[in-house]
Amino acid sequence: MVSFFEILSPSFLLFPALLGSAILAFVCPLVGAHLMLRHRVFLGLTLPQVAACGVAFTFWISHAVGLSHGTGGERLLAMVGSLVFTLVGMGLLAYLDRHATGSPESRLAAAYAFASALTILFVVFNPAGELEILNLLKGEVISLSKDELKLLAIVYGVVYIGLVLFRREFLLNSFDRDLSFLLTGGGVQWSFWLYVLCGFSIAIGVIMAGPLLVFGFMVLPPLAARALARGMSSFLTMSSLIGLFIAIFGFYLSVRLDLPLGPTDVAFGCVMIFAIYAIQLVVRKSRGATALLAGLIILGVGCAVQKAQAPLDMQALGQNPVWLVSVRNSSGADLRLPDNNPLRSLVEMAGKISSDYRPTVMDLLRGALKRELQQRSVSVSFPEERDARFQSAPVDAQTASAMARAANLSGWLLLCEIRRWHTDGRSPLRTWVEMRLVRIDSGVISWQTQIQKTTPLVGAVRLDEVSADATKEILREAFGS
Amino acid sequence: MAKAPALVTFRGANLGYEGAVVLQQVDLEIQPGDLIAIAGPNGSGKTTLFRTLLGFLPVLSGALNRNCALSEFGYVPQSSSLDANFPITAREVVEMGGYGRVKCYQGFPAGEKKRLDNVLNQVGLSHLAPRSFFSLSGGQRQRMLIARALMVGPKILILDEPLAGVDPESQKAIGDLLLKLNRDEGIAVFFSSHDLRMVRSVTSKVLRVDGGRVGWEEGPVADHPW
Repeated sequence: MVSFFEILSPSFLLFPALLGSAILAFVCPLVGAHLMLRHRVFLGLTLPQVAACGVAFTFWISHAVGLSHGTGGERLLAMVGSLVFTLVGMGLLAYLDRHATGSPESRLAAAYAFASALTILFVVFNPAGELEILNLLKGEVISLSKDELKLLAIVYGVVYIGLVLFRREFLLNSFDRDLSFLLTGGGVQWSFWLYVLCGFSIAIGVIMAGPLLVFGFMVLPPLAARALARGMSSFLTMSSLIGLFIAIFGFYLSVRLDLPLGPTDVAFGCVMIFAIYAIQLVVRKSRGATALLAGLIILGVGCAVQKAQAPLDMQALGQNPVWLVSVRNSSGADLRLPDNNPLRSLVEMAGKISSDYRPTVMDLLRGALKRELQQRSVSVSFPEERDARFQSAPVDAQTASAMARAANLSGWLLLCEIRRWHTDGRSPLRTWVEMRLVRIDSGVISWQTQIQKTTPLVGAVRLDEVSADATKEILREAFGS
Repeated sequence: MAKAPALVTFRGANLGYEGAVVLQQVDLEIQPGDLIAIAGPNGSGKTTLFRTLLGFLPVLSGALNRNCALSEFGYVPQSSSLDANFPITAREVVEMGGYGRVKCYQGFPAGEKKRLDNVLNQVGLSHLAPRSFFSLSGGQRQRMLIARALMVGPKILILDEPLAGVDPESQKAIGDLLLKLNRDEGIAVFFSSHDLRMVRSVTSKVLRVDGGRVGWEEGPVADHPW
């Protein structure tokens, strides 16, 4: 199980994703804070949806003119669509703010509904690559490539520098537009530049991370900071720091609990806000209650921290053989590997399997387990070679040990179960594997582990390749490096 | 000795919004060192006159001449017009008056900090500077906004209803402060109010706005129900 400090290490596989998430979380709250001060927080919800609509529109048009999906220019097109729609949408809303009657909130709500509807329609119009479009719209910061990370860092760096350099002008313009006009010579120009910076951050953020995460980071940290800050400087600083905190701990929770990053970050951010307001409320009521609440939180955190699971101690196996039972697939997914899997060809050539047989992830994992144990001088065998009842994987440890005793096996049974093994071809492979080592004579489980991994598709484009990467990771955690 | 040029001059000016005239044929001169009040009922056009004077609204017809830059106008809005949800300290509000002189790449310079302390001392509220602006009383907020206007280094102070919504004690403190700034610093002061009796306690130079016309107030106070 990955530790908190492990995810902070640059050598951690998903470190680029953490970095991307942290960049978003540091800058988006600043943008959101300015929108909040101007009572335009719903712009942070509407514009990401408008950006998503731009992405869907671009894909539809590119398909209509014959550009195929899956090309390198796809991402660039999506960015152009996102940016153009965001800036045009923002300009239109600004124009209506100045010239139309009615409340700005109702206009933003209508724009949100319109953009959402158009997004769905554009996706429906496009018969090809619907899945890819939906993935792109959903956004997955966890699958950021190095180039995308660089682009994100550059755009958000510029936005951050702009917001910091002109913080006084933007804040004065938000707080007192009349004084801003007198002292800086233009009230409208500062609003314009602020909204341009917002537009760029939203358009690029939506492509990299999806509308949910962008809106979440824009709104939640400033909301939390608002409860704590008394002044503008502290409000802006706290917004960014709280965003960073949510990003890092949300990321850790996501990796640890095998949850999707966006919803985890947003849910964690909401919990933080409730906690901050609850603590504030309690502090106002009484100090005793504060101490009690703090105690409960510490207790809760203590309980929530899972004990690290130790790797399998090879010494404990002694000289007894290990019977490696067929890996059980409880994921509900068809885990057959692609047709031209090189793993298959050798056994096929040897005539051991029929030509229509396709190996599975379970075969891959079991083979890797066997090799790993053999390398550590453990005697490993497949039980079905002794007793045909082991052709199918037993349901639980008791049943397995009973079957083994009936088959006159002795030593250990190693049971392995795949709970999850999923990727949609763009997002990282998420895996959840459970292993149990069972004494055959007593049926007692002497070691067990649950391993959850998120393996990025860096350099691996096929299920067999990324599955092989994931298997290595799983074995490293199960047996120690 | 030649008379100093007027800071602001209106000549036959029609003022209003998008073609709708609110004040007609305004003729007015504000000289350096003047202390002028403008009084009239709510909705009579006091704020329209101020907003035109400060360049927020164009003159519909006639002439408006300013002999100082807009950045030399110290404007004090009604504190109720500011967003009470804004997380801001009193010190940060006053600091804003110096923003026009500070470059974007600078921190807040030491000279400006000294000036900030001085204006806070002038309004007698240094001790409240670290507090949240919107946690202050109406009178204290008004004095903080005057400090912000002084931070600009103004030739003329324009105050929109500075005495509205504050208790009598604060009204007196604000009135005294305006008198002091006018006499000791030589700053021209032009402020509005709908309370003519109160205005009389601060200055004898009173403009009356009513029925779309602006004129010098000469009659007894009792003539005006507002």
